[in-house]
Order: sequence, then C-alpha cells, then structure tokens
Amino acid sequence: MRRKLDAADLAIVERLSRDARVSNRDIAERLGVTEGTVRARVKRMEEEKLIRITAVTNIDRFKDAALAYIWIEVERSGQTKAVAEQLADITELGFVGVMLGRSDILAITMVRNAEHLAEFVHQRISVVAGVRSAHSTLGVNFIKHDYRMARIVS
Amino acid sequence: MNDLSASTHSRHIDLDNTDQAIIALLRADGRMAYRAIARELDIAENTVRARVRRMEESNTMRVVAVTDTEAAGFGMLLAIGVQVEGRSPEVVAREMAAIPEVFSVNVVVGAQDIEILVLSKNQAALSELISGTLGAISGVRRLTPALALDVLKNQPDWVPFHAA
Repeated sequence: MRRKLDAADLAIVERLSRDARVSNRDIAERLGVTEGTVRARVKRMEEEKLIRITAVTNIDRFKDAALAYIWIEVERSGQTKAVAEQLADITELGFVGVMLGRSDILAITMVRNAEHLAEFVHQRISVVAGVRSAHSTLGVNFIKHDYRMARIVS
Repeated sequence: MNDLSASTHSRHIDLDNTDQAIIALLRADGRMAYRAIARELDIAENTVRARVRRMEESNTMRVVAVTDTEAAGFGMLLAIGVQVEGRSPEVVAREMAAIPEVFSVNVVVGAQDIEILVLSKNQAALSELISGTLGAISGVRRLTPALALDVLKNQPDWVPFHAA
C-alpha cells in the first residue's frame, strides 16, 4: 500500500489539480508556508508516485472520437496477468485492468467509429497470445471523466 | 470536490506541430519550465507562454495534478454496467456523473446502456454506493459490476472537459 496524503499534501494537490502551472511561490503564499516546503512536498509526492503532473487534452477537440470498452477473456485463467501485461504495452490503450467479474480483463481505448473499433480489436487485441475472445462496447456520449483521479502505475 | 466545469466560451482551435510538441513535453513533465520548453523546441519563451495560454483558454489542454487513487484513500476501483428502463440513459448518466465516487461516465450501445467507473474506500462504502445511491436512481434497472484486481495501466490523457 502506498502512503496516504496528509492534510498539507492535500492542500497543495487541491491547488495543483485545478492548474498545475501555478508557481510554488503562489501556492506557498496562499497556504502560509515556505516555498521550499511546497517544492519539497511536490517533489516527494511525484517521486513516490502519489501524484503525476501532466497535460490532459479535451476529447471534444478531436473529431469523431469515441471511447470503447473492450472486455477480454483469456484461454486459461493462469494467463490473465501475462496477457494483461502484453496489452498494457499497446500505446492506444489508456486503461488495462485485471477484473473480477464480467470478464478477465478490461481495456479502454479511443476510436473513430465502430469500423475502426472492429479493426483495432481484430488486428491488435485478438492476435495477442492467450486471448480467447474480446467483446466491445462503443461509447456514444462521454459524459464525465474526473482526470484528477487515476491509478499511477508508470 | 471543486468545480472544474469548463467555461461555455470554449472555442475550437487547430493545433500545429509546435502545439503538439509542447503538449508532448508537458505530458511527460507538467511542471517543466517555459524556459526549458523553449530551449528544447528552439523557440522563444514568450511563444511557449502564448501557446500554452491559448490552448488553456480555448479548453483544448490543461496541465493538472492527477492523484493516485490509493494515495487518496480509495482502495477499490470498479467498472459497472448499467441497464436503464423507462428513462433516457443520458438523463440517468448525468445524475450518476454528479456523484463524486463515480469518476467516469459513458453512455454506450450494446448490452449495457451506461458504463461507469467508480472508486470506493472500502466494502461498506461500496455497498452503500451500489445499493443505496446508484441502485436508487430512478430508471436504473440493473447494475453489473466488475472489481479491478490489478490496474496495469491508467493514463487519462484524453478526457471531456465538460465534467459535471
């Protein structure tokens, strides 16, 4: 288990989750701590992978973009982890998780349309050794994604 | 949680190679100094500042801190399929989007009408979320959950900015 953020960390993260380009000095002034404290805490949180400061882009700015959920069943249960690891290497996949229930693995990607999704599954997912079947669901309206929350794995 | 809803004044801008290069550097390190970006791309620091501001103001890109769910105290992540009856899936989806633990909401076509991703601190909180909160929403016929045992990859690089 990773350590949980303390109150001082959370106050800094709250500010950074709205706009991470804000300077350490601005955060320090607002919270009444020194700039060095802010710098050290941000650095430590990043090093321990408790936070990741990154650019996110608006999916609405891409033409014909839809989110696809791909549910994957493996040949034998013992292969699940190995198959998931191979899938995690596929650049286009934004999420790969080993699941309990519904199917063995959930992978999420962004596609242009149903045709593109079928092609992607056929050419990139079904060919992975150990994949028995894959069935997908295409999103028609991406209503919410709170990008302030994610599993930080790499 | 604080309000991150996008301004209604957002407009479409076309991104050129310089914009894309700046986004790529900021994806790798969101705290990279304007000066360092300018040096890396061999352009003026003011150009970098102006480009970043333009992309932010048009709601094309944001640089944010993403918090690890476990560090935030959420030990469980679930993908839940939702079947809806007697109500529009869009309307049900928007009600679900207002719940803080529901961090992703998609209206889909297929066996399910909506796919959501939810976080929970523990089993008791999860029970309350599923039976108490989500199950009680009008129009929700059936919830089909799957628990993530191990998340190998999660890069929320592309997201909608019109979050609830």
